[in-house]
Amino acid sequence: MAERNEWRLAMLPALASKSKGGYMGRTALMKYMYLLQTVRGVPLNYRFTLYSYGPFDSDVLSDLSTAEALEAVKTKLELYAGGYGYRIKPGRNAKWLERRGEKFLARYSKDIDWVVKKFGAFTSAELELVGTIVYVDQEATGGRKRVDLEQIAKLVHEVKPHFSQAKVLQYARQLAEQSILRASA
Amino acid sequence: MANTHRIDEIRCPIHGFIALNDWERTVISQPAFQRLRRIRQLAWTDYVYPGAMHTRFEHSLGVMHVATRLYDAICDKSGEILKADLAYNKDGLGRDRQLVRFAALLHDVGHSPFSHASEELFPKRGKGKRYKHEDYSVAIIRSDLRSAIEEHDLNANYGLHAEDIATLVEGSAKARQPIFWRDLIDGQMDADRMDYLLRDSYHAGVEYGKFDLRRILTTIRAIRSRGGHPPQLGVSLGGWHAAEGLVLARYFMFTQVYFHKTRVAYDVHLRGALRDLLPDGQFPPPTGRGLSAYLKWDDWKVLGLLASGGGGEDGDRLRTRNHYRRVYETPEVSSKKDFEVLEKVKNRLGRLVVAEESAAKSWYKTGEPDIPVVDDHNPDDVKPLSRYSSVVRGLKANNQVFLYVAREKFDAAERKVREMTAHGRKK
Repeated sequence: MAERNEWRLAMLPALASKSKGGYMGRTALMKYMYLLQTVRGVPLNYRFTLYSYGPFDSDVLSDLSTAEALEAVKTKLELYAGGYGYRIKPGRNAKWLERRGEKFLARYSKDIDWVVKKFGAFTSAELELVGTIVYVDQEATGGRKRVDLEQIAKLVHEVKPHFSQAKVLQYARQLAEQSILRASA
Repeated sequence: MANTHRIDEIRCPIHGFIALNDWERTVISQPAFQRLRRIRQLAWTDYVYPGAMHTRFEHSLGVMHVATRLYDAICDKSGEILKADLAYNKDGLGRDRQLVRFAALLHDVGHSPFSHASEELFPKRGKGKRYKHEDYSVAIIRSDLRSAIEEHDLNANYGLHAEDIATLVEGSAKARQPIFWRDLIDGQMDADRMDYLLRDSYHAGVEYGKFDLRRILTTIRAIRSRGGHPPQLGVSLGGWHAAEGLVLARYFMFTQVYFHKTRVAYDVHLRGALRDLLPDGQFPPPTGRGLSAYLKWDDWKVLGLLASGGGGEDGDRLRTRNHYRRVYETPEVSSKKDFEVLEKVKNRLGRLVVAEESAAKSWYKTGEPDIPVVDDHNPDDVKPLSRYSSVVRGLKANNQVFLYVAREKFDAAERKVREMTAHGRKK
C-alpha cells in the first residue's frame, strides 16, 4: 500500500477537516499542497509547474480522485454567477485513511495548521496569486540571485496581467514580511 | 539561394496534410529531432496490437498541427478576451502562434527509448524527484536545437529565442504572457492528447480513441472567469457532446490499450532489461555531457543490445515473448475493501508476486474529466461538463491494481488466489 502514497493521500481529509467549516475548495487544495511543499519543505513529491492560474500538478487531482474512490473525501459541485467550484469534505473513510498515514500527518501537523491558518481566509483567486508570487520568487531567486520585490511583482504581472503590478506588490510585501519569500523588500 | 518562404506538406494518416514552413523544416531536420523516428510512441504495445508501431516523430508533427488549429480557433472565437484580458494585439498573436507551434512540435523531443515505459529510469535530481522527459526536451531545445531556432532568416519576423520555447514547455514564469497557451501543450484540452488518442487508436486498430475533433475546433473558447481568475480554455454549449466524446475516448483508450494487462507487463520487462543495459542502471542526466550521451539512446540501440543477448532475464522474456501473467486484479474503481482484499492476496502469494502495477501511477491515467462549458449567449453562464453530461458525472478515477507472476508460476499462483476467493465466498 505504501506504493500508492497513502501518506500523501491522508493529507487530503486532514487538510479538509482542519479548514474553516470543515471543507476546502479545489484551488485551495492545489495551492495548500504547493505551499506546504515549497515553503514548508513537506516532502509531498509533487512536481508543480506554472500555468496562468498558478502552480499546478495534475497528480494532486489524481490523488483527489483516488481519495474520493476510497470515500476518504467527498466532493460537491457548487455553481455561482460566472463560474463554479468544488467543496471537498472528509468522507466516511477519512479517519481510516488518516490512520494509514498517521506518522506522516503527525510529523507535519504544524505545517498543516500553518497553511490552513495562514491562507484559510483567502479567496481562490488570491490563492492563485499567492501561489504564483511564491513560484516566481523561488524561480527568480534560484542560484542565490538577489532579486527585489518590484522585480517579482513585474514578472507576476506579466504572467497574470489581470492583476495590476501594484496589487501584486502589495501581496508580495505581505508574504515577504512573513518570511515566505526569499526576495528582499 | 533557398526559398525561406516555401511551405512543405507532409502526409499524415490522421490529419491529411501537415504544413511546415522552412524554419520548422530546418528544426525537424536536426539530428535531435530526427531521433524521434526511432522512438516508438507506445513501447511494446505491438505485442498486443500489432499495428501500434508508430513513432514520436509523427505524433510530434500531429501535435503541432492540432495545436495550431486550436490556437487559430481560439483567436477567431475569443479574440476579444485575448485582447482585453491578456493584452494581446495582432502582432503578439502572430508571434505566439509560431511560439505555440514550436512548443507543440518539440515538447516530446526529450523522450527516452520506447517513450513513457522507460521514464522510471531517469536519474534523480539531487535528493529530489526523478527527471521527466520534459526536462530532457527543454535541455535539447536550449542546446542542440538553439541555433536552428534562433538563426533562421524567418526569425527576423518573430525574434524568438530557444528560451521562449523552453520556458513555455517547462512552465516557467519566464514564459510571461504566453503562459496562457500552456494549456494547449499540457492541459485538459491539449493538442497532445487530442493527437495521441486519434493516432494511437488508428495504429492500434481500435475505435476507442475517436472523438469529434472538428466539433471541438468549432466550439473551443477562451472563457472569461469572474472573481480575479485568468481566462480558461473550455467549449461553448454546442460543443459539450464533443468534449464528452474526448473524455470518453480517453477513458476507453486507457482501459483497452494503455492499461491493457499484457501491454503493462511488457513495460515491466522493458524497464528490467534497460536497468541491465544502462550504465549504472539509469539514463544519463539532461545536464552537461549527460545530454549528448542520452541522445545516443534510442529504440534501435536498445533493440540491438537486446538482439545481442543483453537485458538479463527481462531481455530473455522480451525476446521469447514469455511475459509475466496477471494473476489478480482489483476492480477499475477500487474501494477501501478492495484494497484490503488485495493486501490479503499479496500476503498469500508472497514472493510469487513479481510486479504490482497501479492505474493511478500510469503515465496515461485518465485525470480530471471536467471541462468548462460556456453559453455563448450568456458568458456568465459557465458550468462544468459534468453538469451537462451524466456520463462524465458518473466517471470515477481508475485506481485498479494488477498483480503479476512469472508465467511458469502462474498455475500455482492462480490456485492460491482461487482458494482464497472461494474461501472468502464461503464465509
